[in-house]
Amino acid sequence: MNRKRLSLEQLKADLRAAWAITKKDMRVYYVNPGAIMFGILFPLFMFLSFAVGKDAPAATLIPGLISITVLFSASSIGPMVIPMERRVKTFERLLSAPISFYSIILGKTLSGFFYSLAIGVIPLLIGLVWFETQILSVLGLVLGLALPAFCFAALGIMFASFPTENPGNIMMLLNFVRLPLIFISGLYIPIESLPDWGQAIAAFSPLTYANDLVRYALEAKTNYGVALDSVALLVFTAFFLFVGSRLNKKFNK
Amino acid sequence: MIVKVQTEYAVEVSNLTKKYGDLVAVDHINFSVRKGEIFGFLGPNGAGKTTTIRMLTNLTKPSDGTAKIFGHDIQSQTIAAKRYMGIVPEISNIYDDLSAWDNLMFTGELYQVSKAEREKKARELLELFGLYDRRNSKAKGFSKGMKRRLTLSMGLINTPQLLFLDEPTAGLDVQSALIIKDVVRELNQKGVTIFLTTHDIEEANVACDRVAIIHKGKIAAIDTPEKLKKTIQSVQSVEVAFDKTSPKILGELERIQSVNEVRKEGDKFRLYTHDPATVLSGLWEYAKTDNLKPISLNTLGSSLEDVFVRLTEIHVKANRRDSDE
Repeated sequence: MNRKRLSLEQLKADLRAAWAITKKDMRVYYVNPGAIMFGILFPLFMFLSFAVGKDAPAATLIPGLISITVLFSASSIGPMVIPMERRVKTFERLLSAPISFYSIILGKTLSGFFYSLAIGVIPLLIGLVWFETQILSVLGLVLGLALPAFCFAALGIMFASFPTENPGNIMMLLNFVRLPLIFISGLYIPIESLPDWGQAIAAFSPLTYANDLVRYALEAKTNYGVALDSVALLVFTAFFLFVGSRLNKKFNK
Repeated sequence: MIVKVQTEYAVEVSNLTKKYGDLVAVDHINFSVRKGEIFGFLGPNGAGKTTTIRMLTNLTKPSDGTAKIFGHDIQSQTIAAKRYMGIVPEISNIYDDLSAWDNLMFTGELYQVSKAEREKKARELLELFGLYDRRNSKAKGFSKGMKRRLTLSMGLINTPQLLFLDEPTAGLDVQSALIIKDVVRELNQKGVTIFLTTHDIEEANVACDRVAIIHKGKIAAIDTPEKLKKTIQSVQSVEVAFDKTSPKILGELERIQSVNEVRKEGDKFRLYTHDPATVLSGLWEYAKTDNLKPISLNTLGSSLEDVFVRLTEIHVKANRRDSDE
């Protein structure tokens, strides 16, 4: 009984600490030039470089722009913030506090999550105001923003586990994963139009399910269905967090 | 909530070891720190003191051995052990983009200090360290001394019973160093145990109840500063520079009575001795005889490096004697 009470107290303490870390990251790092560069400008120009000149109505490109923005913004915060904190030794301040390591991971993941939600809304607003985009499913939209934001934030945290003090090192590694994801996840060509082998590869990309949810929300089209998309994203999130915590334990021996 | 364990020790270290591949950074060290003690932990760079502190604060996992903080094992009861600690690392690890006040609030939240309590404590600490007027300024504009004082404030926001201080006054301005020394003394008078790491043996001599010296990953000596000081009084030196120099001077200085060793350091000569008065007298005679004019003359106390050389020699000799027996 006493042990249970202690565990509950520790859980509350960990959640409060995670939220404190998130709030601090919001204040310190959200307006950092690196966050703006990798989280906003990079996905925007990546998208424009492939979408401009394409023979498709602009409104049909909005789901892809939202997905790519969520991917880059969510996954950039961890890889930028954690190495910077390692460099100035503030990460050790977090590690030496009487909280579990998972609360640090959660705090950092939430930092990427909220950043991504805020940035992901921008292309949505652009679509709503200028390109006659319509929200056809509010639930789909909430899931299509929230689940990918959390999933890609966890992806960023997994990569940030590599013990470097230079954000550029992790961003470089991360781009080896993020850039191919853009091409295999049906952002430019709908999944259903891909050949069988293309569809098989797409099934291994979390961005596929993220984009499928957003397309459902804005175009009422889905390849896998909301339930499967949601479960797949949750599974990817759990996998990224698990691998991230294992890597952290390995590197902090 | 802290589950208290009855113990007279704030820190108990048993066979603590850290290996990085083939390198043994800390080699089966044993020591304990009593509650309320100021314990100095001295060592040159690379001796293993930072690794030891990192193991005690759970930033690095030991390869072998155990460490307990107020009876709580740092590996199996990590969070309980950490609740007793305040940590002030060698590098002032503050958030430059937050104000002094926000740095304290954030640290207080990490340590689960209630809002009312952390606001009260932050005000007290900022006033104590002379930073209250700058509480709303971002830390990036602070001087090195102010950043150090803020780091110490952050280490105290949770009212720790054990404070780890790693080189707290190194390279600081006089005002900041004095404030920090005063606060440490006051904290100790209130019963806080201090684990102090420093290169400055005089700082340790003035502040510490006991001192441990770590060298090449092993504890070379643990004793009170006065006893430690007695072991190093024979390693004093006289430093002299003459108006002219020649290669033969080094050999001639070695022949002066009571000189144990002479080293040439730039344009100066350093004469190691246990009896500076006799050496000064001999030096004066030598200069007069050889028509040399001393342009600078200093008697120097033992440096930390001298202490280490001395103690490790004794250590090796003692080991040899033990093995011979």
